[in-house]
Amino acid sequence: MASSRQHSSGTVPATDGLTVIGQGIHVHGRIHGEEDLRIEGRVEGGISLTETVYIAESGVVVATIDARDVVVSGVVVGNVSATNSVSLEPGAKLVGDISAPRLIIADGAAFRGNVAMTEGGSAPPKRARTTTSRSSSSSTSTKTKTTKASRSSSSSSSTSQSRASTAKRSTPRVAAIRAPKSTARPDDEVTVIVKHAALSEEEEPKASKSTKKKAKKSPPRGRVPKPGKRRVNRR
Amino acid sequence: MANTVIGSTIVIDGEITGDEDLVVQGTVKGRVGLRENIMVEESGVLEANVETATITIHGTVTGDIQAAERAELKSNCRVVGDIRAPRILIADGASFKGNVDMDG
Amino acid sequence: MASTAPRPEACTLGQQITVRGTLTGEEDLLVEGRVEGSVSLAGHLIVAESGVLEADLDVQSIEVHGEVRGDIVASQSITIDKGAHVAGNVRAPRVIIHDGAQFQGAVEMDVDLPEGLARGLTR
Repeated sequence: MASSRQHSSGTVPATDGLTVIGQGIHVHGRIHGEEDLRIEGRVEGGISLTETVYIAESGVVVATIDARDVVVSGVVVGNVSATNSVSLEPGAKLVGDISAPRLIIADGAAFRGNVAMTEGGSAPPKRARTTTSRSSSSSTSTKTKTTKASRSSSSSSSTSQSRASTAKRSTPRVAAIRAPKSTARPDDEVTVIVKHAALSEEEEPKASKSTKKKAKKSPPRGRVPKPGKRRVNRR
Repeated sequence: MANTVIGSTIVIDGEITGDEDLVVQGTVKGRVGLRENIMVEESGVLEANVETATITIHGTVTGDIQAAERAELKSNCRVVGDIRAPRILIADGASFKGNVDMDG
Repeated sequence: MASTAPRPEACTLGQQITVRGTLTGEEDLLVEGRVEGSVSLAGHLIVAESGVLEADLDVQSIEVHGEVRGDIVASQSITIDKGAHVAGNVRAPRVIIHDGAQFQGAVEMDVDLPEGLARGLTR
């Protein structure tokens, strides 16, 4: 089963729980969260995660997917955008557009749609179909999410719109990280300034530049929910 | 086959239907319609009208509950809404506000 | 994964060769040089790491390790290997994109969606 298969990026994090939408379950609406999600059933609507979405062989997703990594073994109808990678396993079926720095299509997967590789370690094609602003030569410093977000947003206007709406919905931490994308260039100094401006707007000054990475890896997350706080921030 | 689990950082805004057990550790808003068992764990928040066979609540439920068999409110749970079920168990320490209808 | 090395008998366009125009053929071809125009090949086309194709391709199957700018139609399969650059629309029954490949464009494969999902799709 796809569940036990670790994605090639090897970044499946330790979360306090694995969310599973079982085979007999049908979700109609939006799912968002900060942990891995495995879909064996059916989801219609939208999915936005900061971690990995696995769509198992039995899974059927008719939704826009926005996540860090997306691993498809089942069926997806809808646009998929990932900040790291999209992987279509053998048997996967996907109709929709893909936007991700890394795309892996295995033999035996079926896919129809556009591909926008929003970032890569190597030089871009000279005849750019989508205008990608790769003004910086610092392609080695593309590890941070901020840079990825800024690049991906500049590559495709439709993606950036969906991302912008996602950022509003997401938790403040994510919003703060992604916020600079509208104006940011892959230039560290500019990025820092914009970040701070964005943070003050969000009233969430906890993520300073030096601690941001650490906070991303192990967010101070309790099992006790704070529904009131979440609601306020999402609106 | 693994049960359906909504993890603690997951928020579902919409409708969940199906015929499989459901464990809620995160947040579900909207509507839940199941023919099986729902377990709302301590971290779980249901802001939804619920139709199910049985429901066991350790966490928070805001909304009307209609259980075909049994509704169980464990201690430390918080429930606001009307409950309709043939058998309703409310443990000591549970917080509940709403109407109870046991006529089925 | 087949390597860049061709079978001994495969026709090779060497690194210093540039072809402008239409290239047609009915055998396997290894391109280490440059082709501008269009390629129609009833065989297996290998674009080596040094190969650059600025051409629309109509082939049986293709394996890209280098660079292709243009649309690719294959009757069998398209393989885009790690390190390859492809910009263009690709259509084939099988399209394989390896991790580390760079691709911009549209992919068209036959997708047999389950009943009920195919309906309502505008594509």
